[in-house]
Amino acid sequence: MALLFLWALSGACLAATDYDQLFRQSSDLMAQGDLGGALELLGTVPPPAAGEEAGAYVSSRMQAARILAAQKETDRAVAACREVLKLFPDNSEARNFVTALEQQRKPGWHTVLSDTLRFLPSLAKGALMTLLLVFCTMLVSPLGGLLIALGRISTVRPISGFCWFIIWFFRGTPLLLQLFFIYYGLPSLGITLAPLTAAVIGLGLNYSAYLGEIIRGAIQSIDHGQMEAAKAIGMTYGQAMRRVIVPQTYKRLMPPVGNEFIALIKDTALVSTIAMVELMRAADQLFNTYFNITALALAAVIYLVLTTIFTFIFEKIEYRAGIYEQR
Amino acid sequence: MNSAEQPLLKLENITKRFKNLTAVNGVNLEVSSGEKLVIIGPSGSGKSTLLRAINLLEEIEEGAIIFEGRQVGYVMRAGKRHLDHPRAISTLRAEIGMVFQHFHLFPHMTVLGNVMEGPLTVQRKPADEARTIATDMLAKVGLSDKRDVFPATLSGGQKQRVAIARALAMRPKLMLFDEPTSALDPELVGEVFDTIHTLADEGMTMIIVTHHMGFARELADRVIFMESGNFLAQGTPEELFSAGQDNERIKGFLNRLL
Repeated sequence: MALLFLWALSGACLAATDYDQLFRQSSDLMAQGDLGGALELLGTVPPPAAGEEAGAYVSSRMQAARILAAQKETDRAVAACREVLKLFPDNSEARNFVTALEQQRKPGWHTVLSDTLRFLPSLAKGALMTLLLVFCTMLVSPLGGLLIALGRISTVRPISGFCWFIIWFFRGTPLLLQLFFIYYGLPSLGITLAPLTAAVIGLGLNYSAYLGEIIRGAIQSIDHGQMEAAKAIGMTYGQAMRRVIVPQTYKRLMPPVGNEFIALIKDTALVSTIAMVELMRAADQLFNTYFNITALALAAVIYLVLTTIFTFIFEKIEYRAGIYEQR
Repeated sequence: MNSAEQPLLKLENITKRFKNLTAVNGVNLEVSSGEKLVIIGPSGSGKSTLLRAINLLEEIEEGAIIFEGRQVGYVMRAGKRHLDHPRAISTLRAEIGMVFQHFHLFPHMTVLGNVMEGPLTVQRKPADEARTIATDMLAKVGLSDKRDVFPATLSGGQKQRVAIARALAMRPKLMLFDEPTSALDPELVGEVFDTIHTLADEGMTMIIVTHHMGFARELADRVIFMESGNFLAQGTPEELFSAGQDNERIKGFLNRLL
């Protein structure tokens, strides 16, 4: 009994060395470009008898399957895998390879669809963060812009000078640099901000500066007679601005402000650099994990959907804002 | 001097200089309550500037504006003239109505909204009361049916009548008309004149700058001829427009117009 066991063991060892030789030879043939020869050689490994060690057989069939798959011989590659599965239905390597090969045989749209379904949840989460950033900035920057615009028009020198400086600085340096400064730079001055806060402050200041100039232009484009007429019925400067001048700027503001906000949707991608996971960052993470271009394409589609929706909304608002000009 | 004799508006030595041009050159004027004063004269003679100086749309370099016996618009601080506090200026303007050549209606408000705006925002009256006042004023200028449209849909004459209603809604003590018909097509001039006439008949004190001599002759208690920032002549329409006018400049001006 013990003798029999010993014999079997030594036979297995002997067989293993033989097969090592065989695999080396097939590798050499592959290296020489003789794939047919390598396949032939691998095909000589016989199926193991019952109870016999099966590692070499499985390895040879899987190696053959890989060579065949690389040659686009999908049917034969699947057949090679099936030989393994016939003996070992639970072999996960063979099963996964068959699944992958079957996937390849399906039409391209199927792959894209399943990738899309796989990526969409995390991209949607990123898109929500992007929208949150856009809305916060859209809330803050028109108010900031109006203040900057009124400050620029002001006849009080220190105020107009200060607003000029704000515009000069935030328009004259890259948004990326401003975000870095606020998120990474301010902590050294003892101010540490959460990424979202830092992002909204950075985007808010930057867009306030741009909107400030747009709003100033719109205010100054209103006929001077409007201010005089408002003053003539006894309005103060503030009342005239609030009731007469600023409401008339809305229609003129819409096209350039729409432009700015659409630029904003895309500029939010920059905050991915300060530890925020928004749409761009989510897509980038998926791309790096799966090396799958679908993630990037999907992000592009989502950006396009967002900008399209905004474009329509702004066109609607512009129409409504100018309704009094229709005859 | 009791209030009956006191002029509503008194101008003393009003001087307004632009860069190197003296637009109004030391003008003196008294306007009594209920008087209709018409100022005529060639373009650039300073008529509009004088009118705008009265409600402080132009800041004057010298002189005093005395409204209802009080000096208004300017204060002396450390020996220098300064514009009065914005609130004080607004209060004065609220008592003086002004109608512009180009109407300057608020395009984003309806006709009613335009007329309500003064009582509502400046006098802080409740919306109902402001609406009632505005409705009355629109009726007075004959535009009740246009109350809910935007100014863009109106003719020039209608716009100017709304502008008059807007000024009247503040219940002004004095109305200033700065060439109210100069921007109108000839066939629309009549309706605006009729509206101003109605006001005159109600006893409104008014100063009108105009190029329409026929209107001046018909309406004015007194006509002033202004040229190069000075009052060249003044008197009743009969005196100024009479065939026997011996001032060559006035004669020339009138002949060019007629």
